[in-house]
Amino acid sequence: MNLQKQYLQTIVPGQSLAQKVTPFNKMMKNPLSQFLLLGVILLVVKFLQMAGLVSGPFLTSIGFVLVYSIAAIGFCLLLGYSGLASLGTAGFVGLGAYLAYYGLNQWGVTILPTFLIAGIVAILLGFVIGFISLKIEGIYLAILTLALSEIVVQILKTLKSSVRITNSDITFFGLFLGKNGAFIIIVLALITLLIFTANLINSPTGRAMLAMKNSTSAAQAMGISLLKYRLLAFVISTLYASIAGFMYMLLITAITSTTSTILTLVFSLNILGAVIIGGAKSLWGTMFGVFFIYGFQQIVLIDIPFFQENPGFIMLITGLLLILIVMFYPGGFAQMFLNLKWWFKKKKAQWKVYRYGKEA
Amino acid sequence: MLGSFLNTITGSLLIIAVTMMATMGIALIFKTSTTTNFAQGSIAALGAYVTTFLLAGTNLPLWVALILAVLIGTALGVLVDVGIFRRGRNVNIVGKQIITMGLVSIIIAGIPMVFGADIPPNLPPFIPGNFSFDVFGTEVTITYHAMVSIVITAVVLGLLFFLLYRSKWGLGVRVTASRESTAELVGVNTFVITATSWGIAAGLAVIAAVMLGGTGIMMNPAFMTRIQVNSFLAGILGGFSTFYGPVVGAVLIPLSVAVVGFFGRFSPFFQDWADVIVYVIMLIIILIKPQGLFGKKIVKKV
Repeated sequence: MNLQKQYLQTIVPGQSLAQKVTPFNKMMKNPLSQFLLLGVILLVVKFLQMAGLVSGPFLTSIGFVLVYSIAAIGFCLLLGYSGLASLGTAGFVGLGAYLAYYGLNQWGVTILPTFLIAGIVAILLGFVIGFISLKIEGIYLAILTLALSEIVVQILKTLKSSVRITNSDITFFGLFLGKNGAFIIIVLALITLLIFTANLINSPTGRAMLAMKNSTSAAQAMGISLLKYRLLAFVISTLYASIAGFMYMLLITAITSTTSTILTLVFSLNILGAVIIGGAKSLWGTMFGVFFIYGFQQIVLIDIPFFQENPGFIMLITGLLLILIVMFYPGGFAQMFLNLKWWFKKKKAQWKVYRYGKEA
Repeated sequence: MLGSFLNTITGSLLIIAVTMMATMGIALIFKTSTTTNFAQGSIAALGAYVTTFLLAGTNLPLWVALILAVLIGTALGVLVDVGIFRRGRNVNIVGKQIITMGLVSIIIAGIPMVFGADIPPNLPPFIPGNFSFDVFGTEVTITYHAMVSIVITAVVLGLLFFLLYRSKWGLGVRVTASRESTAELVGVNTFVITATSWGIAAGLAVIAAVMLGGTGIMMNPAFMTRIQVNSFLAGILGGFSTFYGPVVGAVLIPLSVAVVGFFGRFSPFFQDWADVIVYVIMLIIILIKPQGLFGKKIVKKV
């Protein structure tokens, strides 16, 4: 903040930059209320859809973006704050999805025990990877998580082929029925996790993770337990991924051929890409990255006739932009928005000088 | 029993050859550009499509089409290095992975656009037919295609290893692999080294894809992904610190999957869970020996 003010001072000397502090402005500075606002907006959109003002497919696309955002936020904590890379997101999301399916559809348990089972399994898996991460580091660790994810995926696929699956719809012990309830659950889960993550990042735990990211040796010298925080980072990340899988299953309600798209390496890489182009350390940036990769084609470009005729072009452009952003904008979208904001402030200050003259 | 075991082995020979080729390419790029190249599989698929296109459009023999496809693949690899990786040297390791991921998107989306939807999704084998011989009364079969593939693999990898350990270029690659900045200091033209590595890696990938395509599996832009994942795992199993380590790993993984699958004759459990069993064993080996089977321990000084 201070840096920003100095920067502006150099451009427009003598210009007072004190913003008018209204209660609304003050509230919006707080990330928690920003997230709450997002939640309210999403729920309003949902009610508009129920009233018939917004199309159903549009909302389903948003639902997928929200679900993937949950996985991406966990990954953001892992990569951006703990400096640990993983390529296993697909396996963990798949785990959550399959457990949700078996719990709700095959074993006939209600939503809460299923959720607990999925959570506990994910936490155990997170512990395993956390312990592995103490022995193996960097890019090797990433490939090893890929191996672990492959194991999970193979188990899931083998189980699926041996269990006959029928497309029956899921009821959530009479409380929520169908897609409307699922969307509301997803929004609530996303907002809760966002607030939890934002608080965690600003807590001593978050700062310990950052220290660990910048230098493991220095962090250990400061008395930060590598074991504790690495385990925590991986447990949280796998838990979020599992929750994302769970929500995914609520959204699509059946294991079909589309389910296999989240079990591939490409899915893990897309989540990784979303976090990187979003800016690795920014929650809003991460969510925008997910929107860019998964929502952009379904929500924005789908209305343009050219892209309806050539669906391949969207993927082509996404790939090209991914490369360009990584090469020329290492800070990602978060950096881009910050620059844009500074530019606007600069222009505004210049305009004020032009309009009212310099302050004495 | 021995005969059927031998059949299992001969059946897995082709996939071993394919994995060896793919792994060598991945190891080359991993060592010279310090990134895991996720685009290897898609470049390979592109090469296979170029081969099919040449076969369908013109009446070239397969080997001419293969050589042309390898040349095109090599050119693409060099282009990727010169056009993207050389400019993105300051990008960190994860960023480089994302760049290769972007390449995957571009190639996978580009293949149907360039070649159209009506391209035949199959490649012919190098030589059709089977060769069979008798072992204690059981017939052991091996396809001619697999035999040719193994010969190609042996020749190409043999030549590559000779170059790596006996030529000036190979010395340059090994120096660049240990540390790029130091290599520049001692006068190695690292631009040439990385560009040739990318070219050779892409060429190897194309050969691998054409060999796999010859088995009659349906091609799609992502049909090499499975091999590619195995290649990464083979790399850490053998240890990326040498060049022969990953290649040995590439023999071990498909071979063990085949052998474990063979026990499926006694209990279907092994048949279903062959991949999982092998991956778990591999994971345990790596946990015991984190630097890989043939890896050297690199001591990091603060």
